[in-house]
Amino acid sequence: MIGRWTAASIRARLTGWYALVLVAMLIVYATATYLAVRHEFLEQLDEQLHEEFEAAEARLTRTSDGRIAWREEEHHDADHEPERVFEVWSATGEQLHRSGAAVALPPAALAAANSSYRYETVTASGDRWRTIAAPVAVSGHAVTLRVSRSEERVLEQLWEVLVVLVLGLPLVVLMAGVGGYVLARRALQPIDHLANEAHRITAERLHQRLSVPNPRDEIGRLATVFNNTLARLESSFDQLRRFTADASHELRTPLAVVRGIGEAAVAERRSAPEYEEALGSILEEVDRMSNLVDTLLRLSRGDAGTIRLTQEATNLGDLAREAAASLGILAEERNQTLALDIRDGPIASVDRLVLREALTNVLDNAITYSPKGSTVALRVERMGDSAVIAVTDQGSGVPAEHRERIFDRFYRVDESRTRNGGGAGLGLAIAKWAVEMHGGAITVRDGPRGGSEFRIVLPIAPERHGRERPDTDMDRVTAS
Amino acid sequence: MRVRVLVVEDERKLAQVLASALQAEHYDVVIAPTGEDGFYRANAEAFDLVLLDLMLPGRNGLEILHTLRSRHVQTPVLILTARDGVDDRVRGLDLGADDYLVKPFALPELLARIRALLRRGRASDILRFKVADLEIDLVTRRATRAGGTLDLTVREFELLEYLFRHQGHVVSREMLAREVWKEPRRATPLDNVIDVQITRLRKKVDAEGARRLIHTVRGVGFMLREGEP
Repeated sequence: MIGRWTAASIRARLTGWYALVLVAMLIVYATATYLAVRHEFLEQLDEQLHEEFEAAEARLTRTSDGRIAWREEEHHDADHEPERVFEVWSATGEQLHRSGAAVALPPAALAAANSSYRYETVTASGDRWRTIAAPVAVSGHAVTLRVSRSEERVLEQLWEVLVVLVLGLPLVVLMAGVGGYVLARRALQPIDHLANEAHRITAERLHQRLSVPNPRDEIGRLATVFNNTLARLESSFDQLRRFTADASHELRTPLAVVRGIGEAAVAERRSAPEYEEALGSILEEVDRMSNLVDTLLRLSRGDAGTIRLTQEATNLGDLAREAAASLGILAEERNQTLALDIRDGPIASVDRLVLREALTNVLDNAITYSPKGSTVALRVERMGDSAVIAVTDQGSGVPAEHRERIFDRFYRVDESRTRNGGGAGLGLAIAKWAVEMHGGAITVRDGPRGGSEFRIVLPIAPERHGRERPDTDMDRVTAS
Repeated sequence: MRVRVLVVEDERKLAQVLASALQAEHYDVVIAPTGEDGFYRANAEAFDLVLLDLMLPGRNGLEILHTLRSRHVQTPVLILTARDGVDDRVRGLDLGADDYLVKPFALPELLARIRALLRRGRASDILRFKVADLEIDLVTRRATRAGGTLDLTVREFELLEYLFRHQGHVVSREMLAREVWKEPRRATPLDNVIDVQITRLRKKVDAEGARRLIHTVRGVGFMLREGEP
């Protein structure tokens, strides 16, 4: 429902804004149109007046008794013209002649000395009249001729224009609004659709995806982004589910042991050394569980992406030497030879602790699963833009069907060896996690002389200019 | 005078375990089961050390710590918490905690940290240690048993030195991993390494016929002392 409301709201807002902008534009447009039309109309009126003035001037004549009169009889009906008035004034301001509409116009201002036309708008009996006046000479006699025309018709036409403009505006806006609303709805409909689809996807149905009709338009991009998010969510959910199941299984075993020992201990009276033995066993199991929980927590933080690496330029050869030094004692105990082969130790930007733990786990795995007296080889070399750390053992190797899953959490090739090796089957999972955190990859394959070879491939920064073969002196091939 | 320790912990069972472990070390223990009570006591009474749980009903441990420090109560405070996020740790130490331990912690570790806090400020310039007829000299880096020099590797000597510094007390594998191997995290391979190293050290120190001085406390750790634990 929320999705619907938001969509409707966007639709309404879009339409609202559209209408508002349109109204503003139309008002400007209508005003400009009205002003232009008005100007044009009034100009036409003036032109008409001017023409009539000239026509009237030509027809004025002076009668023999000294009066001013129309020369021709064709103007006999001039008195019945409702919209026009002709007047002739003497220089002293006396009206000599008048014809046309019966309206009392204010007397014409006497023309000034110059003979230019004088336009004027006057009001008479509530109507507006446009007048043109100028001094003319009738048979050498100077008089002022004024021609007037009612503006009412022009005003009426202007009013009609205004009415059309003003009444048309809301109509246009309404139509545009409806059109805009329909368009907006059509444009936003895919979003509604998307929201409905997304609504159906719940934690239990994370495998579902939104349909993407056109991955290149805006909606398509949104859906694609959403689908990617869903994919990530699904994989984390799956991981979490598997992880929880495995973890509870792994914790159940030591819990069962603790419970069994405790129950057996209290079942009958025992000697102090027996109790000590029981408590010691319980503590060992508890220790194992604490370790397991710590590791699980760390892995889950890694999954959640909350672990930040502290990366610094590190000589991977040194790192390998440290790991070998710390586990050397374990190889010694098993009469194994730990052979180091470090070729111009590549420098990579890594988190020392995290990567060393990965290396230690892989090395420990090799030592544990190699027979006594065999050789475990640790090789570090640079291959193009990558650093390769390879651990080769002479154990029984990893069967092909296990290679994919050997880095999975809690996965063990040989289920019977689970508890005696001490580990919970998380060592290689941690190694994989650590290597991948560094943008690298870890794989296992058959070793050159039987056994298996674990390869850690890490990206390294391209060699900086002016530094060739770093630390060659320090990193002579060492083998023990 | 006996050392007085205030334990601010709402989990009754854990509080009792702590109390009995501390009493075994001859400390006087006062238990405060709530944050309010803990704050009141830490403020009003004199203690040599406060063990402070962070998640408490009523009043958060960090709050108590902050208020105590702002009132210039300078008693050393060791924080106990189930959360081990780095931010929590940093905040706790920023607010004036002296040390920090994440649950579930091992008792030997807690006791060692408490000893270290109580010892703080006092010079510890002991350069020679002796247990029964086993002696080490930190200056010449020589270890002798019944007068005869022991041929120890560097790591073995460091391990023995650490056991000496905690003689009579159990040291856990976590403590060894962190303090002797300088590894911030304990991992399975390292546990095996520690076990092998202890076995080798023991072969040299407790040679055939000699009295056992390095003891294994099953499920807990190792201890250097005269006589059985």
